[in-house]
Amino acid sequence: MWKYVTQRILFMFVTLLVITGMCFILIRMLPLQPLPAEDPHAAIVELQREAAGYNKPYLVQFGIFLKNVFTKFDWGVSDKLYIGRSVGAIFFEKLPATMIVNLYSILISIPIGIAFGVFAALKKNTWIDHFLSTVTMIAISVPSFVYAFIIQYVFYYKLSILPALMNSGTDYFSWEMFKSMLPAIMSLSFGVIAGFTRTTRAELTEVLTSEFMLLARTKGLTRAQATVRHAFKNCMVVVVPSIFGNFIGIMSGSLIIEKIFSVPGVGMLYLNSINAPDYPMFTMLTVFYTTIGLAASIVVDISYSFIDPRIRVGSKK
Amino acid sequence: MTKLTKRALSVLLASMMVVSLVGCKKNDDGKPTPTPTQGASQSNEQSGTQGGDTQGDTPVQELKINEWDLNSKQYVYKDSVSTLPAYWNPHDYETNDDAYLADFISSGLYNIVFNDELHAVEGKENYSGYKIIPEMAASDPVDVTEAVKAAHPEFGIPESATKGYAYEIELNKDACWADGTKINADTYIYSMQQLLDPKMINYRATDYFSGALCIANAENYYYGGRTVKAANSTDGDSMKYAFDALVKGDDGVYRNADGEIALFGLAEGYARMKGDSLADYYGAGYIPDEGCWSVLSAAADEDNFVPVTDETIAALFSFTNSDDWGNEPKEYLGYYISFNKTYDEYAWENVGLFKNDDYKITLVLGKSLAGFNLYYHLTSNWLVYEPYYEACKSETNGSITTTYNTSVETTMSYGPYSLVSYQTDKALRLERNPKWYGYTDKQHIYMDPEDGEVYRMYQTDVIDCQVVAETATNKMMFLKGELMTYGLQADDYVSYRGSDYAYTSPKETLFFFIFNGNKEAINEREAAADFDTSKYDLQTMTLENFRRAIAVTYDKELFASTISPARSGGYGLIGNTYIYDPETGARYRDTEQAKKVLCEFYSVDVSKYASLDEAVDSITGYDPVKAKELFTQTFKDAIDAGFITDTDNDGKSDQEIRIEYSASAVNDFITKTLDYLNEKLADVTTGTPFEGKISFVCSAPYGTEWSNKLKAGLSDTALAGWTGSKLDPFGLSRLYTDPAYQYDAKWFDASTAMLTLNVNVAGIDKPASNKELTASIKVWSDALNGATVEIDGTEYCFGEGIADIETRLSILAGIEGVVLQTYNYIPMLQDGSMFLLTQQAFYVVEDYNAILGRGGIPYMKYNYTEDEWKAFVQSNNGELKY
Repeated sequence: MWKYVTQRILFMFVTLLVITGMCFILIRMLPLQPLPAEDPHAAIVELQREAAGYNKPYLVQFGIFLKNVFTKFDWGVSDKLYIGRSVGAIFFEKLPATMIVNLYSILISIPIGIAFGVFAALKKNTWIDHFLSTVTMIAISVPSFVYAFIIQYVFYYKLSILPALMNSGTDYFSWEMFKSMLPAIMSLSFGVIAGFTRTTRAELTEVLTSEFMLLARTKGLTRAQATVRHAFKNCMVVVVPSIFGNFIGIMSGSLIIEKIFSVPGVGMLYLNSINAPDYPMFTMLTVFYTTIGLAASIVVDISYSFIDPRIRVGSKK
Repeated sequence: MTKLTKRALSVLLASMMVVSLVGCKKNDDGKPTPTPTQGASQSNEQSGTQGGDTQGDTPVQELKINEWDLNSKQYVYKDSVSTLPAYWNPHDYETNDDAYLADFISSGLYNIVFNDELHAVEGKENYSGYKIIPEMAASDPVDVTEAVKAAHPEFGIPESATKGYAYEIELNKDACWADGTKINADTYIYSMQQLLDPKMINYRATDYFSGALCIANAENYYYGGRTVKAANSTDGDSMKYAFDALVKGDDGVYRNADGEIALFGLAEGYARMKGDSLADYYGAGYIPDEGCWSVLSAAADEDNFVPVTDETIAALFSFTNSDDWGNEPKEYLGYYISFNKTYDEYAWENVGLFKNDDYKITLVLGKSLAGFNLYYHLTSNWLVYEPYYEACKSETNGSITTTYNTSVETTMSYGPYSLVSYQTDKALRLERNPKWYGYTDKQHIYMDPEDGEVYRMYQTDVIDCQVVAETATNKMMFLKGELMTYGLQADDYVSYRGSDYAYTSPKETLFFFIFNGNKEAINEREAAADFDTSKYDLQTMTLENFRRAIAVTYDKELFASTISPARSGGYGLIGNTYIYDPETGARYRDTEQAKKVLCEFYSVDVSKYASLDEAVDSITGYDPVKAKELFTQTFKDAIDAGFITDTDNDGKSDQEIRIEYSASAVNDFITKTLDYLNEKLADVTTGTPFEGKISFVCSAPYGTEWSNKLKAGLSDTALAGWTGSKLDPFGLSRLYTDPAYQYDAKWFDASTAMLTLNVNVAGIDKPASNKELTASIKVWSDALNGATVEIDGTEYCFGEGIADIETRLSILAGIEGVVLQTYNYIPMLQDGSMFLLTQQAFYVVEDYNAILGRGGIPYMKYNYTEDEWKAFVQSNNGELKY
């Protein structure tokens, strides 16, 4: 088991290195922005580019980049959006906002989604189940930014009970800040809640019709006891890994949500670094998202064995 | 006291009460009267002398100034931006977004304010112009050219110069940083030295030596000890030095007119190759070794630069002239050239800025500058706070960077506001800087044109700015009273254009239709296999009568109000906001010369009108009768030329003329534009041989290539425009005569379009000496923009400060007229924008001023305090009506 985990982590680093190298070189190969004719600043920009090492061979540039990252955790300085400022510093300044919004979203989505899923499974083939399934389908189909505009219009503009944008500042755990984050959290959560509802309902429905559930009932357990002790536990084998999968989904979904609700997070930073373009910033964020994706896939795989001891990952037998 | 005295006093008091009551009448517009004491106590009122003691041109009398409470937080300007400033270091910021803070946390040496009773300008109605006041300076600059020339030969002031090269500026002794540290001459010297430091590669350094404000030897100091390789073409379309103009030196190496060595950059990502280098193409197998790469690489230095010699020219040309590279002509070799300019180390002492005493500096210029332009260039400043600046420095690869002015901790204000909070990409907050001299001096006051009282500028206590990316969110926040302004979008005009709170601001851009006249490209397109010449035709589009017909098919104002209501009809090539005389604010479009050009282009018979103004006012650009005549004539011309056929002799064209609109992207605006164009075209062509036979069709989305498609004749038209400096209409002439800029360069040669003008060749301050001269509009344009040109064997220059203004206006109008008469450009729209202003505040000046706009924050007054405003919004159910 541990050998498997170690192997996966090592492979993850190799994959990360390859992806980072490809991204870095492809980004550096992109043509630099042509400088406007007759603009006296053009010569200065040329000098700045030279100082930034753009005239060196790509592999040399990549070597310098890796050396700085591994020895000093230096990801370079922003050359467009935040000229001269450390890319790493900007990133870590913005990471908390993204994390906190996503965390709240997941924390809200998991219990609600699972509760709806359990409820729908227990009321299988009733109008409640049909209603929840229909709503779930709609909620999954609609992109999160559509919710964002609806939520903003209804709760901010019409009802005046929530602010339009997230508050400025870093007191993330105050009530006022939480309230200001609610529109973003809600926008991110609808689709996730629907996803959990669907997964839980499907798994639980299947488990509830299993023979061991019949055995549990015949040995005298009530329906509630059998559901909680046996059925629910079994359906979690699929639900828990999907939590990790959804976490990645929320990270990518927050790119546009952060923009709409002015969440000062890394999602908006990613968009801005592409539009600017700010290559050092874009490189770091690409590495960040790649790392998150790779790490999540490992965690999902490994989590199976922790949740269900019957699953032996990496076993040759 | 006697009875009589008591009675007299009683009568006097009664009279005063009556007068007071009359003065308390309600405002006509029904808005609450702004009271100067809102948030400010009467005890804060101070007395001052009118106009300030530095002006010396206004009568001194006791004034009651309505002051604002400096500790109040009740007047909050709530702003939104799509991008928050990230780097507002005055030495290195690059974008307009980053310039947002400059007006609030810094002050220029001089400032421009409205002309009012307190800043009177002779002959100008109050608030119709502007006045320049000393700001960080204590008085007007004193021209010391003669003295500096004699005492400091190192600055290189020309022997013949007697003025305009050196100015002594006395500094404002009250100026200080927000922490109270005094700003003196040393601050200016240190800041400029940092700005020009060769190790810092500051982006804004060039602003102080490459433009009109050119500090003597600043360029030499900045580039000192460095060899700069500058690409000859930075956009891939134009060259700084034509290849043919390079001159071979004794060593066989070619040089430009400035003596700089020309080099082929083998590893340079030239714009012509969209960032790729010749080495990339060699690596990909395009460039052959024999006779080309082997020759070039053998001559290359360690940085892969090859001196331009006959041998290397032949080697590279053998490739660029090959079929593989598109048979480029020899002059295109200029796109692969860089110039080598080596600067010697330079001493700071030779840079034209030095200290006279603690509060006096002398600015020495490399080029003369005077009058409005001098003041204008000194309205911004270069100061940095030394302790922070030094602490923020770091060295990377031999160059020094600084994080100065990137956060609250690294920012020190010396302007009216201080930065008190800043969150990257989220929000910032500015509050009054109580140390700013402008809150107590006698300069920053104005007389309200409504109530005649004197107020201190800057009633705003706090500026809250946050990032709002979505327009829909902006609108909702504005309607809920959380933002001060909202820029109207196309969909909003129906609802808000008539609002009392809607303001229009004209902009410089003039949009025109550019029509494809590239016959060669059109013929090639028609020869393509998929082009059915029996059904379609493009060549007719090149006929002059066709273009003239199009030119009178559209009512410009109707076009503007239909597709873009904030804009207005455009009639000439130069928009109506360009000011040719900053001293008076006079606009080019208002001149007699410019008006005559329009009348000639639109065939208006001036003699039928009482005045030239009336004749110009009658122009709509729409003449359907004439358009029909011209379309009929076009049909005959096209038949004669063999462009179209009429095989069934029904008097109608067999072919349809489909004009491709070169679109960057397909959007609502373009769809609406094309629908309008086609609808009106259908109306006008009814009953003509082209009935139902002409249409505008949208191209595939070309992205940023749309203009190149147009210039190459691969697409047929687009609504395009140029934006120039609003104080320099003359510079616009280059856009229509220089192939580097021209849309029609491939089918209109400005060097062969002749123009005859009777102009004063004597120059300024000399007795007029008129002469009739004939030259191409290219030559006229060059001469107008400062080049010395030869006409009929004599050298002339009609640049700024050399020729008299009337002559320059005549030349500009002449060029505009010739270009218009080509019908390559058909003016359509004058750019503008419209926004809603909150009910919480208002501008003291309603009318737009070309220099000052509506005055901005200094001239903004409030109807409600923040608390009152919240209550007001709530009383309107949280949604305001505009």
